Amino acid sequence: MSARAAAVAVEDLSMEFVSRGQRLLALQNIDLDIAPGEFFVIVGPSGCGKTTLLRVLQGLASPTRGRILVGGEVVTGPGTDRGFVFQQDALYPWRSVLRNVGFGLELQGVAKAAARARARAMIDLVGLNGFENHYTHELSGGMRQRVNLARALAIEPAILLMDEPFAGLDALTRETMQHELLRIAAAAGTTVIFITHQIDESVFLGDRVAVFATRPGRLQEIIPIDLPRPRPAGIKQSPEFQSHVARIVRLIGSYESHP
Amino acid sequence: MTVALSPASADPARRGARAPWFTRERWTAIRRPLTTLVVVVAAWEILARTVLTNRLFFAPPSDVALAAMRLWQSGELQLHIRVSFSELIYGVLLAIVIGIAIGVIVGISRRVQAYTEIYITALYATPLVAVTPLLILWLGIGIGSKIAVVFLTAVFPILINTISGVRATEALLIEVAQSFCATPRQIIMKVTLPSALPYILTGIRLGIGRGIVGVVVGELFGSQAGLGFLIYTSGQTFDVPSLFVGIVTLAVAGVGLTFAAELVERYVLRWRRTIRMD
Repeated sequence: MSARAAAVAVEDLSMEFVSRGQRLLALQNIDLDIAPGEFFVIVGPSGCGKTTLLRVLQGLASPTRGRILVGGEVVTGPGTDRGFVFQQDALYPWRSVLRNVGFGLELQGVAKAAARARARAMIDLVGLNGFENHYTHELSGGMRQRVNLARALAIEPAILLMDEPFAGLDALTRETMQHELLRIAAAAGTTVIFITHQIDESVFLGDRVAVFATRPGRLQEIIPIDLPRPRPAGIKQSPEFQSHVARIVRLIGSYESHP
Repeated sequence: MTVALSPASADPARRGARAPWFTRERWTAIRRPLTTLVVVVAAWEILARTVLTNRLFFAPPSDVALAAMRLWQSGELQLHIRVSFSELIYGVLLAIVIGIAIGVIVGISRRVQAYTEIYITALYATPLVAVTPLLILWLGIGIGSKIAVVFLTAVFPILINTISGVRATEALLIEVAQSFCATPRQIIMKVTLPSALPYILTGIRLGIGRGIVGVVVGELFGSQAGLGFLIYTSGQTFDVPSLFVGIVTLAVAGVGLTFAAELVERYVLRWRRTIRMD
């Protein structure tokens, strides 16, 4: 995999919405420094602005104040240095798995044979061999998110932005996908910025976990997760893991204890 | 693979296995409508030979078949079919191209929509075959005026369905393309149009149906050839069997084109989830 991970810097970022005549501060003075190759997780309750931050990172929305640098360059719009993994069902139902994965390459005008080969390699990476010609409605939720991931990785992004990609999956599939994501991200060698509202997921995946608070959306604290990599299956039961979870639970407040 | 709970339909090995084409169910599906046809034709024959025996006003199917053979051997029937068919095809093709092009523009731009939508709706509801005499006055009794009639009657269902389809495109799917740096043109070609395709195909099917009416009405008003011309001249000369030949040919063409349109739809939309009630 030739993608080179890039550093991300968020500098004094604020985002304001006007809704029904009321000003709403979605993000307040966010400063973040993310290292190349880091797995950075943002966790927080709904309404803390985490999805807004990811959209600004992707260039789908412009901040009210501040800026974002990716690999030293200011973000002004979407770019192929960033791959976005959307929530459930962002696949094109009229395209086969192979053509969904090759979508970004097709837009860039990559030659058909090369695009196909690259898409096949990505399908292989996410473990969907044999499903190239299936349509999305023939796939389970977990398989669809694998396609989603493969599509984002196919353009060889330096950064992978993931917006609660496992939120719609059942508990068992979610568990599997967390392990798979760590394997795939390590193989692809990209920087990952991952958003979730599940605390155990954030601890299991992240090198660091940024805890966000709501109203206004702001960064509360960044917690380094000093657990070994690759993370073994039973790690969620370990006392170190549990103490990280407990700390984040305390930060966010007790109401977020539901799964 | 670590996904254990994949649906049965997603098993790659099962896709290759094909059921035999000619099954008991398929035979039943053909036999039942065929029975209806045989009964109706027989009843028609008996009626024409017993009650409505005046050959100036009615003809049994056997006479219609004889007339059809006579018209076929002289080459006349083929000419009428060819003329009517080309009028339909050119008119519908024109309606498809222009209907989709304008439909996409109106569907995307709120401003254009504000200027035009009420008039498109009004014209859709107007029976535009009514302007046929005017079109014949302008374009003559040749093929041009018929193409214009077919176009006018067929374009509005295509246009309206394209607008609905474009507007029903999921915003998320457009956002995905934007995040992959798609140009506006790429978004239209690779997201909006494929997403609107089910609507557009329905519009085309409706347009073909209206277009057939347009062909016949156009030819009845003034023409030199075509199935409508055959029907009109046969009526004028009390040649009832030939008149029925024209009507039956149109009926067969209508069924054939609808069937063909359904096949195209099923192929183009093969990605859709099919819900089976069994």
